[in-house]
Amino acid sequence: MKTRKNLVFWCSLLGLTLVLTLFSDVLATHPVNEMDLDAVYAPPGEGHLLGTDHLGRDVFSRLLQGGKVTLTVAGLSVALSFAIGVIYGGISGYVGGWTDSVMMRILEALISIPSLIFVLAFQAIMQGGMWGMTVIIGMTGWFTTARIVRSEFIRLKDAEYVKMAKMFGTPAWKIITGHLLRNSMAPLFVVTIYNLAGAVFIEVSLSFLGIGIPPSVPSWGNMLYNAQNDILIGAWWIGLFPGMLIFLTILSINFIGEAMKDSGRGRFHA
Amino acid sequence: MTVKWVGKRMMLGILVLFIVSFLSFFIMHAGPGSSATAYYGGNAQTLTAAEKERISKAFALDRPMIVQYGAWLKETVTGNLGMSASVGRPVATILSERLPNTLLLFGTSMLFIILGSIWLGMAAGMKPGSLLDRGLSTFSIASSSIPAFWVGILFIYVFAVTLGVLPSSGTRSLSGDGGFVDKIKHLIMPASVVVLTHVGLYARILQDSVKSEMRSYYVMVARANGVEELEIRRGVLCKAFIPYLNYLGITIPSFFGGSVIVESLFSWAGLGQLLVKSVMVKDYPLLMGGIMLTGLIVVITLFVIDVLMYILDPKLRRGELSG
Amino acid sequence: MLEVKELTIVVNGATVVNRSSFFIPNGKITAMIGESGSGKSMTVAALLKILPAGANTSGEIRYKSANLLEATKEEVTAIRKNEFFTIFQDAMNSFNPSIKMDRQLYAFSAGRIGEDHTTYRKKMKDILGKLGLSADILDRYPFELSGGMLQRCMIACALYVKPALLIADEPTSALDKVVQKEFLKWLRLLNENGTTVLLITHDLDVVTGLADEMIVMQKGEIVETGTVSEIFSRPTHDYTKRLLDSRF
Repeated sequence: MKTRKNLVFWCSLLGLTLVLTLFSDVLATHPVNEMDLDAVYAPPGEGHLLGTDHLGRDVFSRLLQGGKVTLTVAGLSVALSFAIGVIYGGISGYVGGWTDSVMMRILEALISIPSLIFVLAFQAIMQGGMWGMTVIIGMTGWFTTARIVRSEFIRLKDAEYVKMAKMFGTPAWKIITGHLLRNSMAPLFVVTIYNLAGAVFIEVSLSFLGIGIPPSVPSWGNMLYNAQNDILIGAWWIGLFPGMLIFLTILSINFIGEAMKDSGRGRFHA
Repeated sequence: MTVKWVGKRMMLGILVLFIVSFLSFFIMHAGPGSSATAYYGGNAQTLTAAEKERISKAFALDRPMIVQYGAWLKETVTGNLGMSASVGRPVATILSERLPNTLLLFGTSMLFIILGSIWLGMAAGMKPGSLLDRGLSTFSIASSSIPAFWVGILFIYVFAVTLGVLPSSGTRSLSGDGGFVDKIKHLIMPASVVVLTHVGLYARILQDSVKSEMRSYYVMVARANGVEELEIRRGVLCKAFIPYLNYLGITIPSFFGGSVIVESLFSWAGLGQLLVKSVMVKDYPLLMGGIMLTGLIVVITLFVIDVLMYILDPKLRRGELSG
Repeated sequence: MLEVKELTIVVNGATVVNRSSFFIPNGKITAMIGESGSGKSMTVAALLKILPAGANTSGEIRYKSANLLEATKEEVTAIRKNEFFTIFQDAMNSFNPSIKMDRQLYAFSAGRIGEDHTTYRKKMKDILGKLGLSADILDRYPFELSGGMLQRCMIACALYVKPALLIADEPTSALDKVVQKEFLKWLRLLNENGTTVLLITHDLDVVTGLADEMIVMQKGEIVETGTVSEIFSRPTHDYTKRLLDSRF
């Protein structure tokens, strides 16, 4: 019961963030790149709800727009890694045998490589814009998904109804999408939720290091990148708000994942 | 059996390094401006034709990509990582200067994370329902939701800017003697940030594991027979450490990735910061060397954890006997 | 030896044992019989004070001068350690899989009575030999041994400490027939050496020819007590009659 209440709370919080950022065009009080050189470093208050940055740009509007960028990058990259993971893990688990062991050895090796290092390497050659960044994060984030899909497929492959379907000559793709994939959705969903948190983390971190999304595009990571210097002169609001939003977003994703895991655990035991 | 097992784990390590090398080589060579001149290390003008000839021969620059890869791999294995394109010094030299710093930060934070998480996880897991037990779960999720650099900025603001007790960045002060105390002073903030953002996560794994072991059948049997509580707990820990170590192994790569960010934030002159810099200036030989070295450190760390697992988990050890 | 008066156990609002009274005579083998869910195991848990959280008890469990239900943690631990020995049903899970048998058997036997390891090694090897187990099981891990072997290890510890009261909760139900017979033989040996035995079982065959006294439990209540020969020849309660009939 407590789990359920928690789930509702964190889902609403995440939902609120999503709505705010998705409708940023409507909700923003200023154009994101409008510079007001008369109001540089204006503290939060009248005219600028959350103050302005070093170029006099409105922090509130940039925050919403930045969230849209960050969450779009994270969301799309997770969708991409979901697809790759399902295909890789699916082949490995469904075909089995020799193919499976080779694919798993490779996966095991890939998992041992810090994904941030991968991302850095790709970033060096792709001069990543927003889309490049999405592809890079997606291409390096599918390992766990693949592992889960594989183990679920192996577990389900021996189930009675799958054997029946095979006996009746149901085509492989139908067995895979209709039976195997559909029944692996619960654990897959949990891992995807955590992947989303991971993707937000990577975007924010890379942009913060100055090697992520181009600085001209507002994203939460880029805002923090700029805020590094602003904090030293006391303009705390430029860094505080994106930081808090990142924290709350990842926190709600983690708590949602946690709640899903708990409810899944209860069900698997029954 | 032990030999066989060690051999198997080492093969995996070699496979990891092979994949890392393969990827980094081809990625770098697919990138713009990563032609042969990168190997001259920015010294294209000053190098003599003979020297260019020697480099081009060593790295098989006029041959197909796959041959070039082979040549590069051979050079890499023998320690010749080429010249840095941006600094014009041998990559191996630069890496060897950076390595001690990274190992210092990595080792210190790992040490404190392990000690802290074992202590917290045990204390919380042994007392279910206590404040520590409930608090640790929340702390763990919260601390792993805060980006490390955000905590870092906060630390810089509080300890360096406001209080002025610790240096805000670097590995040594310009005015300082560069000695041990000075280095430790610089180490405190980055290491604390890494420890604070990770310790909860690891503690929680141990906590959950201890909690579930304490509820297990064998503990009930031992208690019912008046076996000393200390003896029971000792046994529980032995068992609970297995999933903990396993988790440690799984997360070491991402842990290492995370320290790249912390190094950059604090300008800690380690490998991570070097990697970021070389991405910015597109210094491919340096980046490739850095990636390879990082891969090597991760592989070695994973191997150490594997060996610990092997020692601690009799099922793993004895399983090999029959297999 | 041990007297239970009006014992009631309520777990999360459900009464699992209702006002049970019985007596375990000194030096005898008493069998407590009943189906699973009849409250036998809960009664044992109450004797050992290992009831699950959320369980409430009333009544009295008299052992020597103490009421176990009201005894302090230290007193109970001392009794579990110095007076009782308990063997549980699931031998496969009764040991920590990460620790060698040597250390665990030491903790279950010599460790309880404060004997040193060298004496223990010598004595334990002897006892294991008598039970038909080779001494090198001491250097093994629990998952390398069979359920029957592990249950024999438990008996070995009981033989080592010679407890005043041995409680065996369905000790043979996970074992095959041959090992079962042997196990019961060791129980008898222990009893002959002066240990009072409380054997909990659902299997009448186990009781026959072994137990002296019998307690029949049904749905949390004690429906019949007496000597085995009395009950077998003149059962008074319907449930006991049905139980005896179903035996053949």
